[in-house]
Amino acid sequence: MATRTRRKNEAEDDAPASIPVAERDPELLRRIYEVMVLTRAVEDRMVAMYRGGDLLGSLYTGHWHEAISVGATSALRQDDYVAAIHRDLGAHLYRGMEPWQVMASFMGKATSPTGGRDGTLHYARLDLGFYNLPSHIPANFPVATGMAFAAKYREQDRVCLAFCGDGSTSRADFHEALTLSSVMKLPNVFVIENNQFAYSTPLRMQSNSETFAIKAVAYGIPGVTVDGTDALAVHDAVAEAVARARAGEGPSIVEGVTMRMHGHAEHDPADYVPQEMLEEWSKKDPVQLFENVLIEAGVIDADGAKQVREDARQQAIAARRKALADPMPDPSNVEEGVYAD
Amino acid sequence: MPTDSGQATYLEAVGLALDSEMDRDPDVFIIGEDVGQFGGAFKVTKGFLDKFGPRRVVDTPIAETGFTGLAAGAALVGLRPVVEFQFADFISCAFDPIINVLARHHWRTGDPMPVTMRAPFGGRLRAGPTHSQSVESYFANVPGLKIVMPGTPEDAAGLLVSSIRDNNPTLYLENKYLYRRLRASGPLSLEPIPLGVAKVVREGRDVSLITYSAGVSQGLEIAEELDKDGISVEVVDVRTLIPLDVETIVNSVRKTSRAVVLHEAARRMGYGAEIAATIQEEAFWHLDQPVVRIGAKNTPTPTSPPLEDAVIPQPAEIAETLRKVARA
Repeated sequence: MATRTRRKNEAEDDAPASIPVAERDPELLRRIYEVMVLTRAVEDRMVAMYRGGDLLGSLYTGHWHEAISVGATSALRQDDYVAAIHRDLGAHLYRGMEPWQVMASFMGKATSPTGGRDGTLHYARLDLGFYNLPSHIPANFPVATGMAFAAKYREQDRVCLAFCGDGSTSRADFHEALTLSSVMKLPNVFVIENNQFAYSTPLRMQSNSETFAIKAVAYGIPGVTVDGTDALAVHDAVAEAVARARAGEGPSIVEGVTMRMHGHAEHDPADYVPQEMLEEWSKKDPVQLFENVLIEAGVIDADGAKQVREDARQQAIAARRKALADPMPDPSNVEEGVYAD
Repeated sequence: MPTDSGQATYLEAVGLALDSEMDRDPDVFIIGEDVGQFGGAFKVTKGFLDKFGPRRVVDTPIAETGFTGLAAGAALVGLRPVVEFQFADFISCAFDPIINVLARHHWRTGDPMPVTMRAPFGGRLRAGPTHSQSVESYFANVPGLKIVMPGTPEDAAGLLVSSIRDNNPTLYLENKYLYRRLRASGPLSLEPIPLGVAKVVREGRDVSLITYSAGVSQGLEIAEELDKDGISVEVVDVRTLIPLDVETIVNSVRKTSRAVVLHEAARRMGYGAEIAATIQEEAFWHLDQPVVRIGAKNTPTPTSPPLEDAVIPQPAEIAETLRKVARA
């Protein structure tokens, strides 16, 4: 599905031929796979926790977004910045976020990254290079331009990868961030996770554009649409965009097409989603697809894959145990830290 | 570049302080519309581009939400952005990043957010409903922001230095009516003036005038007039709304037992309401009279002179109010 958006006055530059799986770094492939599996295991566990009443508020999951969040993040260096959204648990786990910290955030625990001050999906850690965004997505897009600006200001070759959904592209801050980043040639990569719905709003009511990547034409930057259930397709497209950003050539858009397989959040039965759509997309489980690819290429075998899945399940169980046992925050200091010293 | 003539205007004081901080700290940069090659709509940053270059004097597209969010991201990883809003009226375009990104980030995460937002505000320039607003109260209810409103060239310099060095998002509101109307009485100090310290700019016995920004010079002139009639007005310049120096305000009211609160912003839900409420909580038994608030009428700011003058507090009204409260 790798349709590419041509820039003005430029001949169609076809996607580079994909590198055969057998010729890729097996360690990187295994790591992408393990994190995708862990992401799924943690989110499945958290769905059960939500239903069992362990969590506060609602639960936002990224089923069928694993290939995008992990595939994209795996194209970065450890010192690159990330401004991820609520479908991107895999991006955080790839960088070293502990699953129990995410659960603690959804429980308002003292041990969550914000100490229970913020919660649910707002668990990003700056020490891992992540911006902890507010709920107003894509408010993270302008912030991502700032992190990229700082890298350029300091003549570092770091880049900032930012994610948003299809619905986010309608907002002013999407347009302003893309405008600033392209005019200033900032080292940004903007990934649009096109998962067909923004809460209940389907694509046809969200955008009149043929694709989301095509918006890149207006900003004079490259834009590419890839299969968002194919981890390597995402990885390759983002790697190309990262290389361009690192070389000082400015931002790019990568659109990954996938499906939001759960509701907007777990409270949402999403009965506005046609059943046939879910059935069709259920055949395209990104974790399973990538597992198949790795087995076929001989990077892992079936027993190895089974072991990875079991390890992830055990990690998720242990994470829940720890998060449940962790203390709630002390309200006596809630007024502290409104201002920095 | 601005040089200190020994009688710097309020506008030059802002430029001198910014220049000095950019000299001192390579992480400080200025970003906004027309700040570079044009030197800013009011010319605060005239010459900055030549001196500091385009890396640190950053012209932007018209994208207030975008460049305010950009400043947040840059601050998050260690820079000290100074954002210029061309007019404070346009700050509403950046309401989302100010409220939801800048103001609450430190409390949520513990990360510092050292962003200074400069914005020329206020009326009396016949600029009309969307070029004359006083915006401080839009933001005063938001935890995590500091609000700085200098009333003199000296404070404009020292408070900007402190704002830039502060690790919090700070809204620094420049009264554009004062830009070329006020001059320093001598060479400017570019030493920081701490945020949260009010100043008694005129001692008096009969009534305390609690004010800020343009109210300070206006209040001092009126106090001189009233002095001729034997009415002694103490003028307190609040200087920073957040943090608010309650002690200096309350001490003044305890001394005079009468208080008038003055600002150019609309009276209803203006910051004067917070000051008046604080005075009655902290000094009720010292008061001989109810605290009186003076502010603009609850209309948008009109363009035409007779209309604007009917809306924004005028010297005669302020003098009359002080006289009444002092003699009652």
